[in-house]
Amino acid sequence: MSKVVIVGASMGGLRTAESLRRSGFAGEITLIGAERHPPYNRPPLSKELLANDKDLAAVAFPIKEQELGAEFLLGEVATSLSLADQFVNLASGKSISFDYLVAATGLRSRQISFPNDLRSGRFSLRTYDDAKALRKAVTPGSSVVILGAGFIGLELAATLRKLGCAVDIVAIESTPLAPILGEEFGAEVQRRHEAEGIRFHLQRTVDDLIGEERVEGVRLDDGEIINCSILIEAVGSLPNTEWLEGNELDLTNGVLTDQSLRGMCEDGTSMDELFVVGDIARFPYSHHQLAPRRIEHWNIPIESAKRVGREIAHYSAPGSVEDFVMGEHFNPLPSFWSDQFDMSILSYGEPKLADQVTLLEGDLATEFVFGYRKKGELVGVAGIGMRREVNKLRGEIRL
Amino acid sequence: MIKINVDMEKCQHYGQCVFEAPEIFKLNDQDKLEYLATADDSERANVQAAADVCPMQAITIVE
Repeated sequence: MSKVVIVGASMGGLRTAESLRRSGFAGEITLIGAERHPPYNRPPLSKELLANDKDLAAVAFPIKEQELGAEFLLGEVATSLSLADQFVNLASGKSISFDYLVAATGLRSRQISFPNDLRSGRFSLRTYDDAKALRKAVTPGSSVVILGAGFIGLELAATLRKLGCAVDIVAIESTPLAPILGEEFGAEVQRRHEAEGIRFHLQRTVDDLIGEERVEGVRLDDGEIINCSILIEAVGSLPNTEWLEGNELDLTNGVLTDQSLRGMCEDGTSMDELFVVGDIARFPYSHHQLAPRRIEHWNIPIESAKRVGREIAHYSAPGSVEDFVMGEHFNPLPSFWSDQFDMSILSYGEPKLADQVTLLEGDLATEFVFGYRKKGELVGVAGIGMRREVNKLRGEIRL
Repeated sequence: MIKINVDMEKCQHYGQCVFEAPEIFKLNDQDKLEYLATADDSERANVQAAADVCPMQAITIVE
């Protein structure tokens, strides 16, 4: 009987285990999670959980333990892997053997280092513990500086503003979200944030932190000083792949995979016993002639887990032909959403690939839909409101 | 038969479920979710997929 070890016990890991069982896999499944918490849903961390100070139960995924029949090793960090000898080493000293390994270790927040590298008063948001720590520090009237004007930064700005904080956003781009959704879309989002009292400091970076024991402010590259008691870094994330080093895998920006999500070596061969799930998978396009990419949207762990579970169940089934490769190219449609103040943004595809951005329906001041085309083909769609219109176009996207 | 429950306090009407189980879920003319509260067992896999992709994790199959 085969044994599958899944490193990463968040949504991607859990969904992989579920997919294995639904695909008839009857062997052992072990999930190894660095966090001490059982799998939970991350998107509410910057919104409902932070706003209402809810506990883990509000975001934990329901698990049918009997049906799943999986062993969870939580609070255990994988430190190294031997693919050749098929075992993974944990920081606790344990060594776990496997027939198939699933790498689903996700991302961590990127941290900036400053000359005055104070720790106290500094936050980021990736985990439940991060969200609780931030909530504990926030009081109505707190002055908050957020570095980064991506989705996490903007959602946090909205939530904290509603909690009564003064919020300043410092970001390198000239318009928030413009690199992802285009100039016009981003400018409208900025306008709506400003109408709620959010202050933007764009095309700016932070030179240094101000304070003795804890953060009391930041100094920008143009010399401006913003006082704050809370500094949040929302400047992107890094793939957790260090534990995979030393196995000749291509670990450039995540883990390179083939079209079936098997891990690939630097020499271009696929590893039959290593599959990659979630944000760390750098997988190839099926349609466009572009370099393989990672996608950090919420539905990618779900889609990749579903595929990998089926794939491993197939390979490990008695009597299965060993060199059988599932023909279908893994080609998920990225989807993402974001709630900020009264705005609810919904998007499909990869709008940032576009060479042409067009307002398709609605008007900027209320509800609208943008279409994103590359060489004339639809690669993405995004809107505020107008759900049915956005949903209608998703079938036309080619990636 | 399976019973389906959508927590309408959580639901934000993103309509992701509609693509996984179009026989069960739809967005009406006001962009609000409508769904069938019971379905044949043959819909179980689709409804489970709909529950998995729900951004708000608002859908449950009541056993």
